[in-house]
Amino acid sequence: MAVDKKQRRSALDPAVADLLKGMQQKQAEAQLPRRERERISRERAKIQSRRDQRATYDLPPSVREGIRLLAEDLRLPASQLATLALARFLQDYQNGSVELGKYKQPSRSPRYDWNLVFPDELISVVHRKKSA
Amino acid sequence: MIFAFANQKGGVGKTTTAVTLADGLARLNKRVLLVDLDPQGHLALSFGLEKSPGLYRLICLDEPLSAVVIPLRPNLDLVAGDKQTEMVKRQITLADFRDTKLSDILSHAAYDVVLLDMAPSLDVLHINGLIAADWVVIPTRLDALAVDGVKEILTTMAEISRNGHLYRGYSILPTFFDRTTRETLLQFEELTRVFGANVWPPVPQDTRVRETAAYGQTLWEYSPNSTSVEGFKDGRQRLGGYRQLLGRMLEVIDGCG
Repeated sequence: MAVDKKQRRSALDPAVADLLKGMQQKQAEAQLPRRERERISRERAKIQSRRDQRATYDLPPSVREGIRLLAEDLRLPASQLATLALARFLQDYQNGSVELGKYKQPSRSPRYDWNLVFPDELISVVHRKKSA
Repeated sequence: MIFAFANQKGGVGKTTTAVTLADGLARLNKRVLLVDLDPQGHLALSFGLEKSPGLYRLICLDEPLSAVVIPLRPNLDLVAGDKQTEMVKRQITLADFRDTKLSDILSHAAYDVVLLDMAPSLDVLHINGLIAADWVVIPTRLDALAVDGVKEILTTMAEISRNGHLYRGYSILPTFFDRTTRETLLQFEELTRVFGANVWPPVPQDTRVRETAAYGQTLWEYSPNSTSVEGFKDGRQRLGGYRQLLGRMLEVIDGCG
């Protein structure tokens, strides 16, 4: 019987493959010049430190667009504007100057009791440049 | 299904691995029997018990398996060993069909899984264990001497296979795994290059393992969240560790069922 001499490299256990890849990557980084290693290390630390600052919310496109246009106009990061808006809202809510009751409607979702339903005029805020 | 934990090199984590995986499988409702083939008798000590001549009574005195097993935990029994295991070797050497003595006894055992903790040697009892086994797990540290032990076991298995025994497979299990050292990476690369998918995810180096034996508890009892159980953290996933190994064992058991 003919013997097939072609040998395919056997696949690795997926966890072994991931571990090996990570170790080889670190080993390769260790060979880089000191400055390059430090840059990679700083980038990694930056990414890790940002993890706690990240959040994902569903926003109406008009609100998102309003934030983007204002940020562009003021030449500011959009995240900082969103932070200001949310922080101001939380303060106003604690001071009792925001009333959610008028937006509240019962939810049919098992996760929530209520939904907030906003009138069009509230969320269709289109940013306009302030006239000088 | 019979697993043998074997490596002629000592101190590679055979007993700890057998104890941890046996208790892990028992907790998953498998009926598990641990058999100590090592005259050091460390399986009993690992569970906080005195050494006893269970294997001697089973093989030399022909007592039934049910009479010599020690219940350890729900679903988990032990055939203990002690220095009298040395006499078992002498008895087997003089017996007819000496190589299949253990296999003959264990083939009727009413357990889902049998785990054999082998001595770091190459004597007649070791051969008995390898012949009884369906699957051989070879724990190894990632250093040149221990990896050489892997080759020796595989050579012995190949000889046994040539004499007609059919293994369902084998796995190489890196233990005491320290992913920060260059030597670990070199040995790990070599192992995976040669043995491919036969290399199981490693067990991380973890001082908790040493403490566990001192308290006579298993890792699932003493430190279920330790690195050796949960593996290395890699982003959101975990790599290696005894919990992942239980999954690999179940794949083998279910695949062979």
